[in-house]
Amino acid sequence: MFEYAPAIALLPFVSFLVALSVGNYMPKKGAFAGIVAMGGSLLLSVWAFLRVSGGEVYNAPDLYTWVAAEEITLQFGILIDPLSAMMLIIVSLVSLLVHVFSLGYMNDEGETGLPRYYAELGLFSFSMLAFVYASNLLMAFMFFELVGLCSYLLIGFWFRTESAASAAKKAFLVTRFGDYFFLIGVVGIIATFGTAQFAGEGSFPVLAEHALVGGEGSIDTFLGLGEQAWVTVLGLLVLGGVIGKSAQFPLHTWLPDAMEGPTTVSALIHAATMVAAGVYLVARMFGFYALSPTALGIIAFVGGFTALFAATMGVVKDDIKRVLAYSTISQYGYMMLGLGAGGFVAGSFHLMNHAFFKALLFLGSGSVIILMHHEQDMWKMGGLKDKAPVTYYTFLAGSLALAGIIPFSGFWSKDEILFEALHYGLGNQPLLLGAYAMGLIAVFFTGFYTFRMVFLTFHGEPRSDDARDPHPVGWSVKIPLVVLGLLATFIGFVNMVPVAELLNADIEFLHQWLDGPEETITSVHHYEELLHNENAAHYVASDIGPYLPGALSLALALAGAGLAHKLYNVPDPEPHTEKLGSIRTLLKHNYYQDEYQVWLAEGVTQPIARAANKFDQTVVDGAVNGISSVSLGSGQRVKRIQTGIVTNYAALLTLGLVALLVVVGLYGGWFV
Amino acid sequence: MIIETLMAVTFVGSLVAFIAPDRYAGELAFGISALPLVGSLVLYSRFDGSGNALMDGGQLAFENSAEWISLGAYSLNWHVGLDGISLPLIVLTTVLTTLAIVSAWTPIDERQSQFYGLVLFMEAGLLGVFSALDFFVWFVFWEAVLVPLYLLIGVWGGPRRKYAAIKVFVYTNVASLAMFIGFVALVFNLPVDTFDLPTVAQSLNAGELQSPSWTSASALKTGAFIAMFAGFAVKVPVVPFHTWLPDAHVEAPTPVSVLLAGVLLKMGTYALLRFNFTMMSDVATANAEIIAIFAVVSVIYGALLALAQQDLKRIVAYSSVSSMGYVLLGLVAYTTFGVGGATFQMLSHGLISGLMFMAVGVIYNTTHTRMVTDMSGLADRMPITVGILIGGAFGYMGLPLMSGFAAEFFVFLGAFRSGTISGAPVFTGVAMFGIVIVAGYLLFAMQRTLFGPFRLDTDYEVGRAPLHDVAPLFALLLLVIALGVAPELFFDMIRDAVNHIPAVEAGVGGGH
Amino acid sequence: MAPPVEYYLFLSAAVFCIGLFGILTRRNALMFLMSVELMLNAANINFIAFSFHHGNLTGQVFSLFTMALAAAEVAVGIGIILVLYRNFQDMDVTKPATMRW
Repeated sequence: MFEYAPAIALLPFVSFLVALSVGNYMPKKGAFAGIVAMGGSLLLSVWAFLRVSGGEVYNAPDLYTWVAAEEITLQFGILIDPLSAMMLIIVSLVSLLVHVFSLGYMNDEGETGLPRYYAELGLFSFSMLAFVYASNLLMAFMFFELVGLCSYLLIGFWFRTESAASAAKKAFLVTRFGDYFFLIGVVGIIATFGTAQFAGEGSFPVLAEHALVGGEGSIDTFLGLGEQAWVTVLGLLVLGGVIGKSAQFPLHTWLPDAMEGPTTVSALIHAATMVAAGVYLVARMFGFYALSPTALGIIAFVGGFTALFAATMGVVKDDIKRVLAYSTISQYGYMMLGLGAGGFVAGSFHLMNHAFFKALLFLGSGSVIILMHHEQDMWKMGGLKDKAPVTYYTFLAGSLALAGIIPFSGFWSKDEILFEALHYGLGNQPLLLGAYAMGLIAVFFTGFYTFRMVFLTFHGEPRSDDARDPHPVGWSVKIPLVVLGLLATFIGFVNMVPVAELLNADIEFLHQWLDGPEETITSVHHYEELLHNENAAHYVASDIGPYLPGALSLALALAGAGLAHKLYNVPDPEPHTEKLGSIRTLLKHNYYQDEYQVWLAEGVTQPIARAANKFDQTVVDGAVNGISSVSLGSGQRVKRIQTGIVTNYAALLTLGLVALLVVVGLYGGWFV
Repeated sequence: MIIETLMAVTFVGSLVAFIAPDRYAGELAFGISALPLVGSLVLYSRFDGSGNALMDGGQLAFENSAEWISLGAYSLNWHVGLDGISLPLIVLTTVLTTLAIVSAWTPIDERQSQFYGLVLFMEAGLLGVFSALDFFVWFVFWEAVLVPLYLLIGVWGGPRRKYAAIKVFVYTNVASLAMFIGFVALVFNLPVDTFDLPTVAQSLNAGELQSPSWTSASALKTGAFIAMFAGFAVKVPVVPFHTWLPDAHVEAPTPVSVLLAGVLLKMGTYALLRFNFTMMSDVATANAEIIAIFAVVSVIYGALLALAQQDLKRIVAYSSVSSMGYVLLGLVAYTTFGVGGATFQMLSHGLISGLMFMAVGVIYNTTHTRMVTDMSGLADRMPITVGILIGGAFGYMGLPLMSGFAAEFFVFLGAFRSGTISGAPVFTGVAMFGIVIVAGYLLFAMQRTLFGPFRLDTDYEVGRAPLHDVAPLFALLLLVIALGVAPELFFDMIRDAVNHIPAVEAGVGGGH
Repeated sequence: MAPPVEYYLFLSAAVFCIGLFGILTRRNALMFLMSVELMLNAANINFIAFSFHHGNLTGQVFSLFTMALAAAEVAVGIGIILVLYRNFQDMDVTKPATMRW
């Protein structure tokens, strides 16, 4: 049945072609093509999921040979193991719901260019699904880039506004900067190992592992580096792409601007596609990262720092989508922290939970935006709780999950991530303790900004006419919200580590699931062995229990939410953040991260380019023109011999003859 | 005989087009150019060659040779044939010429018959350049291409056309002289009695070069390498010999720009590959780092120059300089991926730069300006053209599943593993930064011209472009995607030809 | 007994030098043309002298050619002089000095 696996990605591609070519003549402008295709993808993904639960994996690395030369064969293939099976369902489900939601958000709001919109959504889903089950790093890179292209197109969907075009360009350019390092990493990995396969014997993580851990074979390193160091360098190069796509510090600046796209697109980008791609890639090649403690430490530290950094910026934002954007950056920071701390299950768990609750929150904010007649400023909202109960309760479920309040899904995964970091931090990785501390503080801010958003939007008195008289929303908006609301509430139960420990019961289902079959060498216990191996990452666990850290993070989340409740859950809230003074200015300007990056692009690169141009026009081309003017100039001088007077010519002729005779005579020896 | 037939048909066709009435010249030229196009596709489908045209141990496809002139101790022969390197370029030539002729229907509105005649004449010359295997035959075609180019720029060009045309002509002709001297100096010191390229190449590779009276054999070889490298570097062009290119592109009418960037630049890289890098690989490998520096500088410097431009055509022109740098980097790597990728990049860049110039041309036809600052929001008025232009721009940026990515990736992979260049990963890493800069200038230019609210500073009605303007763009975009998804369509034969280059065969480039 | 060939050569050299002197100093176009003729005939004398000296007819044949050439040259030359006179009302060869760059 896995023979139909290519169709999981190809169905949305077909819908892309259909919507692009005949979308204008279809009912709902191509939406149905997308919905049917995504539904088919979802069914096939579920089928694949069931097969994988039955203990099978699908590793077909050689479905199509892209190119072959020297001893390297570069192929397209499909790898469906527990991790990718899980991700396939997430992507196809979220994408399907986004398609449905778009009926209410785009079609009913009278947008133009809808065939283009649905075509791009189809291409987006195609790229992401193909990326998810790519069997090798090169194929993953290719679709990673296509995902970038699609987000460029979708962020710039309203291209007639300057800001959307600018945001799209920024998104592509900043992630391209990260992908530059990624591409070097891909080239380096293929050059080193001769393969880019993710899984199975002969894949590059396994080859590296054999050389480093097993002592079998060796790695041909470059630039005179040692084997361990070269693996670390390769891992960090690939990480460049991850940092760009997953919007980690310092390449996070594109993500808030990406809010210029339609809200449905934001939901897709943040929850299941573009941004998720980066973290998913780290999980995909976790066996490679687990070999290098340096790479893991950097992943964890970047993640922890980003989690805190972005959470503080989320505190002062007034635009509902911007708050969510910074929460996305922060949450992906948590995932990076979890993966870097060796928590493969924890990171993947949070990736799944976040996909659902963030899709929910974005679609919820989309619903709010419909309600508010396309107003996004939270200070003009308020009191929507009673007028739109479906939106409110689903949004609340998402917020509780985001803030990490027990028993919503976000709690379980965030708790597990922080626990892993503390666990190994106290063991032998003091760097992780720093990352843990930042992650922990970020919990408080997360609780605060999440509930500030909820209270400002839904509670209190309506603060504008639009809020007093909201636009109704239809079924196509409500159904996705309800589905996602249920998922955000309950999906966390699949891996309740503290509960499992308490009851001593075997209920860590996700852990067991990801522990799947051996043959692809991507199972959890293999990763854990590597993690503890002293020739690989060499993480040593401490014997701390899960309850105290769990309680601590829950308490901080509640404290943050409580503070928000005290400040903002009043009929007529005041903008308290203005009391922060210069700190608020700093946060409002996002720590001047945009400014320095724009300066790098426009203040440094552009002048260099202009100087190069000037150099080119004056010196290089000047030399060329100089040579031609020298020859022209000397021609001008020499032509004066040509007087036009016949007698002079005759004289010259005679003199020339005489001179010639003299020379010939001198050499011929006539005068001797 | 099929190659000769192709050339003869094209040449006779150019004469026919020359005397045709202006009104039908465009359609007629399109019909005529379809003949070599179909012919080249026949060549492609019936290609049975193997190995490298200059080396033993293979089978040339469609080979034909005949005695021609005997000149003293040397005989000049007619010798043509194709291998896996030249066939893709032949196909590129015929495809781009046909499409360029269609794209000329709108902008060329005077002396049409002469224009199309010259274009077809140039095509005949190009076919000769890529198929000739005797130096003199090759050189005649090489120079013959320049004459129509000079006229096409000088007669149908923009305001500074005379300056540009003379610059192209003189610059490349002086370069040809350097190259000619270098090659002839080599041949006169070889125990050969012909200018047949395979004979010369094999003799050189067998180390049969004798010392002339005035210097040593190795010094002669190095000197000849430098002279020929400089000669071809002008055509490619490699920084610092590139300044004729932007002038020529800006002044040339769009279809000529298409052919200039798409095919004529490839003459330089093709000749570099055939002469310098196949015949004198020992000199190339001994100086690999210096050549790699030329390559990297071309990539980065060309891209920076493109970043500073305001004229869309200049942007694409300078980015060609950048793209050609990748070719040079791949060549000097001496791995299958490196040299093969360089050859593939010739093909790919031909298609993509042709696409970009055509798209800019279509915009110019309607707006009558090419300045970035003069317009914005064109996507609103010309959605299909702009859509294809965006596709082409992303192809230029090396978006996967388009040919540009395949070519650049092969080059990077080949160069990274190369054993000829010490510190190859560093060179490769620096060169790869070009993909960031190229994204920068194309995205900035696109944002300003295509997006935002519609605005145009020239007084022209902007509407949708006619079908015959857009169709060539679309055809090229499809080709670019097809080659990106299935590079083996051509890489298969390229690999075979490249693998028989002695230095590659001997594993000089190494890898693992 | 014929005189030795040197005599003819001296004669030829003298005629040639007279012609050369005429070209360098005369401004009248007709004199100019006549000087050119003198130089041509100096060459003819040489041809015939050597032909006689070597007992070979080739030189004499060549001098016939030269005469034909000289005749043609005079025809063209006179034509030019006529045009010159028509345009400048003069036969001074230094007058038309604009036939240059």
